Amino acid sequence: MDLIYSRIFKIFFLVFFLSSCSSDLDFDQTKNLKLEPAFVANLAYFDVKANDLIVDDEIQVLAGVGGFDVFKDKFFNDHLRKAELDFEIENTIARAFAVRFLLLNANDEVLQTISFAVPAYNGTSNIIKYPTEVFENQRLELLKQTVKIGTVVVMGSGQPLDQNSSGSLKLRSGATAYIVIE
Amino acid sequence: MRTAYLVLFVTILHFSCFAQNRELLYNFTAIPQSSLVNPGADVSYKFYFGFPVLSGISVNAGSSSFSAYDLFADNGVDFNDKVRNAINTSSRNDKVVANQQLELFSGGFRIGGRESRSYISFGLYQEFDFFMYVPKDMALLALDGNKNYIGRSFDLSDLSVKAEVLSVFHVGFHKKVNDKFVYGGRAKIYSSGANATSTKNSGYIYTGQNAGTPNLYTQIISSDLELKTSGISTFTKDEYEGNIAKDISHNTFFNGSLGLGFDAGFTYYIKDNLQLTASIIDVGFIKQSKDIETLTYKGTYQYEGVNPDFMNSDDPENVFDEFDKAIPRDTLYNKYTTWRPVKFYSSIQYSFGEARSDDECNCLGKVDKYYKNAVGVQVFAMTTPRAPIGAFTAFYRRNIFRKLDLKATYTFDSFSNKNIGLGLAGTLGKVNMYLLVNNILEFKDVTKANSAAFQFGINFIFQDPKD
Repeated sequence: MDLIYSRIFKIFFLVFFLSSCSSDLDFDQTKNLKLEPAFVANLAYFDVKANDLIVDDEIQVLAGVGGFDVFKDKFFNDHLRKAELDFEIENTIARAFAVRFLLLNANDEVLQTISFAVPAYNGTSNIIKYPTEVFENQRLELLKQTVKIGTVVVMGSGQPLDQNSSGSLKLRSGATAYIVIE
Repeated sequence: MRTAYLVLFVTILHFSCFAQNRELLYNFTAIPQSSLVNPGADVSYKFYFGFPVLSGISVNAGSSSFSAYDLFADNGVDFNDKVRNAINTSSRNDKVVANQQLELFSGGFRIGGRESRSYISFGLYQEFDFFMYVPKDMALLALDGNKNYIGRSFDLSDLSVKAEVLSVFHVGFHKKVNDKFVYGGRAKIYSSGANATSTKNSGYIYTGQNAGTPNLYTQIISSDLELKTSGISTFTKDEYEGNIAKDISHNTFFNGSLGLGFDAGFTYYIKDNLQLTASIIDVGFIKQSKDIETLTYKGTYQYEGVNPDFMNSDDPENVFDEFDKAIPRDTLYNKYTTWRPVKFYSSIQYSFGEARSDDECNCLGKVDKYYKNAVGVQVFAMTTPRAPIGAFTAFYRRNIFRKLDLKATYTFDSFSNKNIGLGLAGTLGKVNMYLLVNNILEFKDVTKANSAAFQFGINFIFQDPKD
């Protein structure tokens, strides 16, 4: 009887081990893992009322600076392959403007200037979406040195604004970051 | 972002993991270890002891949505496509689980006189548990980013994972009160060498686009993330120069966080051939107190973008500083309590095919009667960080010879709806051996299985010699 038992166990073990097959698995594939997410985020914005622009001068200039330290993050910096900046300006003031967007490095040196011409408001919808600014290769390297963003608003010629001038100049902008991790 | 990437990677690394239902061992009373899943199992012996280290080895792994083959098949399909498919076909309630147990020693003996039917059993086993829900939203964010998900909220509560290495010393008692009723209980001392728990997370990452707002996007991160660890933080320090595996195993047995728990169960014969059993296992807790560290990220941050300050030229605010202020990383050193996953089993079994012992002539006239066949059903349930998981099993048990039993099971659960298991337990002289394997249909290609379990062991059992 013992012999029969041991045979049964042997057969069971053999069936278990011999019948179990497995496809070839290749765990080295994990080395090919490549993540390519694309993230969107706000970049900069402002909203200036017409009566904030009242001056005697014929040409009014507004300038401001905001901190922009996202490139301090080494991981983000190392894996950013491409960036796109999108700008949208809505002008409801009856004056034309030129808006300049400055990328500044740590020494306040201008790395890049992006300029937008903004037509005067004439009673109809005046929202302009500007062509996407694409940053790749060398231009991307300049972008990565950016630590501050400067904005300059220059008023075009026309009737001076007064307390009763209506409307505002609004800028909304976003960035798309294309990350590659491999 | 980095966290999401890590989570995805950990998902892949830990794929090879499994569930805890031991449907083949449950009520398979030819195996002394069946009292580990029902301390009130109708097991009898004069005394027994397990072959050290070989008395109970079990590994069990499962993933309810994808298999090893789906990810690692050597079939020319780009790995990134496989990862994407695995994530896309998973839901946040899919789980990846693993459990491994190794019995270091075990034994049991009858107490009282020869007619007594009370037993003490004891043992020490080591256990590894891993349980994770597929963190679907975070994986999507790591794979795709938020660009194509404007208006969608990524749910941070998808992140739910726990892992533990522990040793369990246990002493059990069971008593056959009469021919109809057996009850038993087991007290356990847990010693946890390493624990990581991150199951109470909440929050979201949202990017929306609304007309009329000053920003192009409405971006909010609301985070209530917490990772508690015990017995792990030493290894994450730069100055650590030891051997992690060795140190964890040392801590598991000699310097763990301690806890207490119990098991209870019974067997009741409604009729001679109709049996009802039930048990509850691992009702217990561990007070995590050694080398504890809790990391939290709590807060809400709305990202507006840069607003150039036209009015004054003070130093501008910085995005990172703002973020760190809004959602700071905090490290706490509070003790915490973890609850063991509680398991519940119950079965009803109908026996038929009456037989008599074919041993030598029984001169005392005592009739040693038993049934050659039994059929029945079992249920299993286990607590998890979210809703409990359950399984339903139909089984057939056949007594091939007097001391050789076969059990076949068909189990339906969230990992598989065609899990057929086979178990064999036999006693040759004093040597008791068992081998239990489930999901045998998948053995033709085990890499395609969503779950697999394997148990094996050797014991020495001593019965009273026949009078």
